[in-house]
Amino acid sequence: MAETRNALIEMKNINLDFGTVNALSDVSVNFYQGELVGLVGDNGAGKTTLIRILSGMYAPTSGEVYFDGQRITRFHPKLAIDLGIETIQQTVGLCDNLSIARNYYLGREPVKRWLGIIPVLDFAKMRESSNKVIRNFGLRDTVNVDDEVALLSGGEGQSFKIGRAVDFRNRVIIMDEPTNHLSVRERAHVNELALQLRDQGLLVIYITHDIFQVHRLADRIVILENGRKVVDILKAEMSAEALEQIIRDGGREASEGTA
Amino acid sequence: MPRQWIGILRKRTEVGAAVVTILLVIGFTATTEGVWLSNANMREVLRVTSILAMMAFGEALVITTGQIDVSVGSIFGVVGILFLALGPQIGAPLAILIALVAAIAIGAVNGFIVAYFRISPLVVTLGTLFVFRGLAIGATQNPPYYAADNTMRANPIYQIFGSSDVFGYNNALVWAIVTLLFLHYVLFWTPIGNRLLAVGGNAESARSRGVSIMYTKWGAYVACGFFAGLAGILETSDLGYVDGSFGRQRELQAIAAAVLGGCALAGGRSSIVGTFLGAFILSGIQSYLVINSIPPQWFILLLGLIVVLVSLGNRVLTHLLTRLARAEKTKD
Repeated sequence: MAETRNALIEMKNINLDFGTVNALSDVSVNFYQGELVGLVGDNGAGKTTLIRILSGMYAPTSGEVYFDGQRITRFHPKLAIDLGIETIQQTVGLCDNLSIARNYYLGREPVKRWLGIIPVLDFAKMRESSNKVIRNFGLRDTVNVDDEVALLSGGEGQSFKIGRAVDFRNRVIIMDEPTNHLSVRERAHVNELALQLRDQGLLVIYITHDIFQVHRLADRIVILENGRKVVDILKAEMSAEALEQIIRDGGREASEGTA
Repeated sequence: MPRQWIGILRKRTEVGAAVVTILLVIGFTATTEGVWLSNANMREVLRVTSILAMMAFGEALVITTGQIDVSVGSIFGVVGILFLALGPQIGAPLAILIALVAAIAIGAVNGFIVAYFRISPLVVTLGTLFVFRGLAIGATQNPPYYAADNTMRANPIYQIFGSSDVFGYNNALVWAIVTLLFLHYVLFWTPIGNRLLAVGGNAESARSRGVSIMYTKWGAYVACGFFAGLAGILETSDLGYVDGSFGRQRELQAIAAAVLGGCALAGGRSSIVGTFLGAFILSGIQSYLVINSIPPQWFILLLGLIVVLVSLGNRVLTHLLTRLARAEKTKD
């Protein structure tokens, strides 16, 4: 089914070396619009490295990346954002020292002109947009948009990042371990948001090492191991237990099976 | 503590400097029988404040991005020497222009090495501190100093840069106030400022939003070089001569003024108004020592203590206030 559609993101034979370390070897994977893909693997398997290519933080050493059929040749966070690819990472994305309103449009700040010439940050717009997001995405009522991000809880920070990504009408949301360090209730909230985004027709790439959690959410599961893709299946094809066994075995069985 | 107070103390980092300023003005005036606050003394204190503030503004921008520039004293010196060495031959306006371009170029070199090669800013600018101090000393061997001639002094452009008065005060004060307003606007009201603060607060987060860490840091160094050079011109224009030691140890004063003003050395928290007050506090202390015939060498000791203790205090206070503010959020 999926194969007959055009992939939104197509990664072909991706290699990425850090000096002598081979972080990704010959990874080919497609991502389609409107699906939630669980990208799973043990620590150091290359999950984060792979999505950092999509978010423009790293450029592949070799291989090809296509977005919506267009070959991507330059990798920069700004370009990824312009294409509508938003990456939500646990530790990155918000500056603690800035207010919610200032964080909201960081990097693409709205500007109005005083007396028609002097450019000034459009604080009214910054406050209004960010206020809408923090009210819709379940932050505490005591939080307001002029508060610094340092005052938010971990879950509130994540919710705000997701809300911002949604509000910017992105096409791809990459969630990198989005529920680490969150309370049970916050975790359920974030997972619920991931499903909502998928239902709105976005491509959601959900990275985790918790196969059981993502098996419940995802349409498709991709497993990386030692920088190689070892599994790429629709969820229905394999149980979470079987997938976990593959990860435990270091992906050996699966790669031998497909080789 | 009432919630509004916590908010004000957290967001307005210059509150500390403002309180210290008021206390010092009262204390210094009372213990010098008003001499410190006399018009004659204030004229000099404000001139020194303005020139120091000009350097410290640039330093504050660099500190905002979480970097440091310890070479500003040498930039100040080299640019002053260039200005007075060229002035008698090519005239004041062109000499000022060339000196300012040199200041920008030095800042650009500092910034490029720090931002592009990601080498420790302390090491890089400590190196250039010595490089440009060496050049300053080398350029003042024969003749041992440069002086402005009468043609230069008579030039209105020369006078506008720090050697004529406005309402009885040296016009460096006007330069400082205009710069203060401009930089406050840039830092807190424009996208550029938002990005300077963001890079200082969390560089990786800023980068993930598409902000260029390299250009942001680089820009701060270029501005820092420019303002250190401008300060050097304002000072040489007033003195009328310059030698190889010109601007020595000013770097620590510039850093101290910024830190006193509420700029966190870790970056991301900053105040231009506070930096001006910091410069005023330092100049005020210097003048107080002179009035009380205390050897000026003691000022160096005081300066070192101020930098260390105030940065420590800043940090402790920021942590404490953040804790209190977080607690306020969860209470209701």
